[in-house]
Amino acid sequence: MIDEKTWVIQAQQGNDEAFTQIVETYQKPVYNLCYRMLGEPGAAEDAAQETFLRVYQNLHRYDVSRAFGTWILSIAAHYCIDLLRKKKFVMFSMDTENDDGMKFELPDASAPDPEAESVKRELHGRLHLLLKDLDETDRAAVIMRYWHDFSEKEIAQSLNLTVSAVKSRLHRSRRALAGMWKEKEMPRVSHERRAYESPAF
Amino acid sequence: MNHQPFEEWLLNEEPITPEQKRELDVHLRSCAYCSALVETGDILHLAKMASPAPGFTARFQVRLAEHKIADRRRKLWGAGWFILGGLSLLLWFAGPSILTFVSSPENWIVTFVEWGIFLITTLQALTQAVEVFLHVIPGFLPPFLWMIIVSGFAGISLLWSVSIWRFIRMPRGV
Repeated sequence: MIDEKTWVIQAQQGNDEAFTQIVETYQKPVYNLCYRMLGEPGAAEDAAQETFLRVYQNLHRYDVSRAFGTWILSIAAHYCIDLLRKKKFVMFSMDTENDDGMKFELPDASAPDPEAESVKRELHGRLHLLLKDLDETDRAAVIMRYWHDFSEKEIAQSLNLTVSAVKSRLHRSRRALAGMWKEKEMPRVSHERRAYESPAF
Repeated sequence: MNHQPFEEWLLNEEPITPEQKRELDVHLRSCAYCSALVETGDILHLAKMASPAPGFTARFQVRLAEHKIADRRRKLWGAGWFILGGLSLLLWFAGPSILTFVSSPENWIVTFVEWGIFLITTLQALTQAVEVFLHVIPGFLPPFLWMIIVSGFAGISLLWSVSIWRFIRMPRGV
């Protein structure tokens, strides 16, 4: 089986088939980042496509010692940040859309608890709605941290920040989200897994 | 215990001891803000990845093909204009001299000297004109007009620099 590094090297040498493999592999993370940043499926699709185009054009500049995923998401994040700053997006019609960018459907009756599923979707949608009030770079940091499991070091590398700046931005964003959440008196979520709990519990 | 350490535990997301957990549970019952911090944290940790609509790669390939065609066309036009411009300039300046290349060596030398003299006298005339202009013009123009002219030049220079920078810069994150 050919690994990612081989695809990247082959794509750098002009192999379009290898680049297609890269698009196949990274389409979901790149689209997700763009969608969470821009909040609208159409804009996210466009931004994700533009990201891959930039990756294609700048592949010869990619330093193989760096993680490819971090590099590609860094390009996507910067593109979205620039877009948001330029356009000051009129966005986030999220309250009627789910995580796949589709209109909300009725809860799946075959799911173990359709009501809980529906509440969870609604909470995700609302939290996503709150993301729009964060500064663009803070938003990118939150998305990289929670949706893409990036470490603070990886976020710092991707957004050209220091690790302490990333930490401070993440804390500030969490505080802001909690403040807004409390203000809007969102319904309580059933705690399936709490971040502060150690694996021992 | 005050509110601060609980907030720090929640924000740092590091494992806490059973004793700390008990204290935190007690605190959460009375602190709406920390409860909101826990709730938003839970939702963030359970966040799902959004997927593009099916056929993303095929749509990208179409876009890439379009981009390649547009890029090729742009390069072709650029090269065409460059060659056309270069040839026009060459004909404009060297046209009169081209005929001398087919004539005798004496004619070449005469043409060469004529060109040299023409260039030198033109440069001298231009220098004198600029000197006279700079000597005479300050008296005619009031200071505020000078400020406007200088600001205009500065603005144009800035615009020029920014245009070049935008043209040659790499996309951020690359």
